[in-house]
Amino acid sequence: MAAAKTKAKPKAKQKGRGKPAPYGHPANRHNTEAISVTGIQKDFSRADLQFEGLEHGGASYEARVFLNNPSADAKTPRTPEKGYAGRFHIFGHGGCFGDDEGHCEVRPRRPFDPRPEHPLTPATKTVIATDAVRRAIKQGKQVTVTIVPIVTSGTTKCDYNNVLGFQRIKVLTYR
Amino acid sequence: MADVTIRQNVANLETQPDNLAAVRDAYAKMQAFSPTDNRGWMFRAGDHGFPRWQCWHHSKQGLGSERSFNLFLPWHRAYLLFFEHTMRDQNDAARLAWWDWTSDTSHQIGLPQSFTDPNVNGNRNSLSSGPVPAMNGDPQRFTVRFPGDSGNLPSPDDVSRLLDLTSFVDFTAQLEDIHDLIHGWVGGLRDPFNPDLGGGDMGSVAVAAYDPIFWAHHCMIDRIWYLWQLRQGLQNIPPDYLTRGLDPFGMTVEQVLDIKALGYAYADSTL
Repeated sequence: MAAAKTKAKPKAKQKGRGKPAPYGHPANRHNTEAISVTGIQKDFSRADLQFEGLEHGGASYEARVFLNNPSADAKTPRTPEKGYAGRFHIFGHGGCFGDDEGHCEVRPRRPFDPRPEHPLTPATKTVIATDAVRRAIKQGKQVTVTIVPIVTSGTTKCDYNNVLGFQRIKVLTYR
Repeated sequence: MADVTIRQNVANLETQPDNLAAVRDAYAKMQAFSPTDNRGWMFRAGDHGFPRWQCWHHSKQGLGSERSFNLFLPWHRAYLLFFEHTMRDQNDAARLAWWDWTSDTSHQIGLPQSFTDPNVNGNRNSLSSGPVPAMNGDPQRFTVRFPGDSGNLPSPDDVSRLLDLTSFVDFTAQLEDIHDLIHGWVGGLRDPFNPDLGGGDMGSVAVAAYDPIFWAHHCMIDRIWYLWQLRQGLQNIPPDYLTRGLDPFGMTVEQVLDIKALGYAYADSTL
């Protein structure tokens, strides 16, 4: 398993407009640092890109994932030649519907708290990307991951440019 | 033992005027109740997002557990069951039906026509929108949709690949992702060039369940789980999931695994 600790945090709300996409609104993309893949044995039968700590309190979006193509954007063809690895989708809450900001604050659970975790507990998404990972590790000892979010829906409470917030990407392989 | 009820494809329902009218009648009656009447549309939809936020998405800890698990499929199965009985209280001939977003028709026209016609026989079509309660200073209103390009809907092959997954944890995560895609697709944006204007209700957890298509979408999700169970095993779920509670329905995961024990079945179809 290889992992890149990274943090894409939503920034201050921007009013800029992206160029039109086939559908949805292109939001700000994120490029990871280079992830070392030297520890990955090449005889794997499956490889996943796992995105952990994903925030989902805002708009809904599709995240297109590219390997070794840091200039990828919403218009980039989803083809192996362009490093396309797959996509995941976030069904966002649509902004805060509470009385104040504390409503959406995810607090640690106390011992003996019988309630489920906060609805906005960060999510994990897994993109099964066996062929794309195989191609990428043939290209070198390091892989970059580019996530291109395209907003599909939301409310007037949402930031439509900075939708992508996550804590970590893991590359998981299976024999 | 009483006969199980049959949930069918919306495309079939549309060829059965009496059964379609029963659903519209049940929905219209539910939609006429106030948000605080537990026979009503807004009360039941309010279990999902605003104001009670009880829906289960993604993996998380719960009910005293320090281990994360994902109750997305069991929770929504119980939710549909409660909703279906609530609608049958208003018209006992009404049944849930699934919207097959992989079908050729969906890839041509998008949402089913029965859910998009604004009026039927001079009356508001209760499948086209549902009431949303007043919230955050905004008055009560009806849901809206701005669906995307129908070419972006999932294909039958996308679902076939899901059915081949052998692990429940793997399967539910991948099915939930397609579910997420559909929510965003149906909700859409009023204007992608001006996204700050917002989008349709299906695209936000807070208000999605107020849209009538929510129930047809989740019926499809539940049916895909059922098809997966037929292939991969009815009891194919981590053992420590079985006793997990499904609030607020008073049921456990184990109690929702077998849909026939819940009194319903899915009509045969090509997918």
